Amino acid sequence: MSDKPRTLETYLEEISHFLSGRAEREEILSEIRSHILEKAATEHGGTGDAAIDKAVAAYGPPRKVAEKYLDDRPIIAPAYKRHLFRYTSILFAAHLLLTAIAVVFKKSFIVFPFLYMPEMGVLEALMYLPTAFLADLGAVALVLYFITQSGKDVKLPWPRFGADLDEFKPAKGFWAGRFATAVGAVIMLALTDLALYILSKYGTIFLYFENLKESRDPIPLFTPGAGRRLSLIVIAMLAAATMKLFIRLFTRSRWVDVVSNAVSLTLIGLLLRQPFDGLFVPEILSRFSPRFVDWAEHTLLILLLFIALMVTIDLVKNLVAIGRKKWGT
Amino acid sequence: MTGPEIGTLETEMNRGFLHILALALLEKDMYGYSMAKLIEGLGYRVEENTLYPLLRRLEKHGWIASKWDVSEDRPRKFYSITPEGRALRAALLEVWNKQDRILDEITKENTDVR
Repeated sequence: MSDKPRTLETYLEEISHFLSGRAEREEILSEIRSHILEKAATEHGGTGDAAIDKAVAAYGPPRKVAEKYLDDRPIIAPAYKRHLFRYTSILFAAHLLLTAIAVVFKKSFIVFPFLYMPEMGVLEALMYLPTAFLADLGAVALVLYFITQSGKDVKLPWPRFGADLDEFKPAKGFWAGRFATAVGAVIMLALTDLALYILSKYGTIFLYFENLKESRDPIPLFTPGAGRRLSLIVIAMLAAATMKLFIRLFTRSRWVDVVSNAVSLTLIGLLLRQPFDGLFVPEILSRFSPRFVDWAEHTLLILLLFIALMVTIDLVKNLVAIGRKKWGT
Repeated sequence: MTGPEIGTLETEMNRGFLHILALALLEKDMYGYSMAKLIEGLGYRVEENTLYPLLRRLEKHGWIASKWDVSEDRPRKFYSITPEGRALRAALLEVWNKQDRILDEITKENTDVR
């Protein structure tokens, strides 16, 4: 080996790296070595460094060379690729529901034999969900991998819900779309302004109107501190949605939706961080049964988690759409 | 049609052609480099890094056989066709001729097809 130029051995080592695990690796490297030495000697006047360099350059980059020897068998067959995200989203929806149950009912439980759901708070749940999504994606990918490797024609069911990304077509009519966006933006701006006005007048936007005919002042639903914090977060969400619609007038980029989704998720996260126990003011508690108040608190929490799920699905959909456009898959 | 589009389709067409070409050339024992040069001399070109994996696949199926010759300064791997390879070549040539005949008939009937 010592009499061979170093550039050739380095080149072969790089190819060898990409061929690791193949039994015939040494044989393949010998074939390439023989060819390059032959070419260098015949076409470039010898087997010196410069001649070898030229022959190596003509043979191609190591990874490309190695890939020609690798089987084209895909990890997941093209026929099953579309199932990957569809099945993952179904699995993740179930996972999210179980997480919501664990959070709302403050209980740990086992879905035999697959899953152990520990009792967790809202913050823990938010930290847990991304990991759950990756685990679901991995589990589905593993099943599809085994089906692909089996080589059998397994007909997997294709559950339909909502609109398929494959069938998604952008809305026709440029000006009609712009007009609808403009109307939406103005309505959202009006709602944001109204919310700000109510906040400045009552210190909260969550109010209970006991009897509208007697035009009494409304009673705040929540305790002052919590009411103000929750109001500010909701107004921030309204403002973010308004801004998104105004930006949408100038660009149809899906990145606008991605940023909007991320902002919404952050704000929902902030909402969920607020304690939901002892949220209502005594005046409200005295008017309703404790059971009703308890139900209202739980409903509010479930509603927020549902909104978070919807925003997450929209975020994933937008990222997939960007990925499809970028990589043309 | 743009260049890259032709390139992709040409690669697909070449895949089958290269199998017949290699099986036809190996009626006489040859090593990889000499095959590439001979093909080049005939006015065709095969990428060097494509030829060896193709020969490996043919050998894996038993259509060609190989042996190293270490009598010279540089070791060379010689390939030769097997009886199974000859049978395959005959079948592939039959397909090739049939396709050629069909295209020929179409171009004779429709002078626009050029």
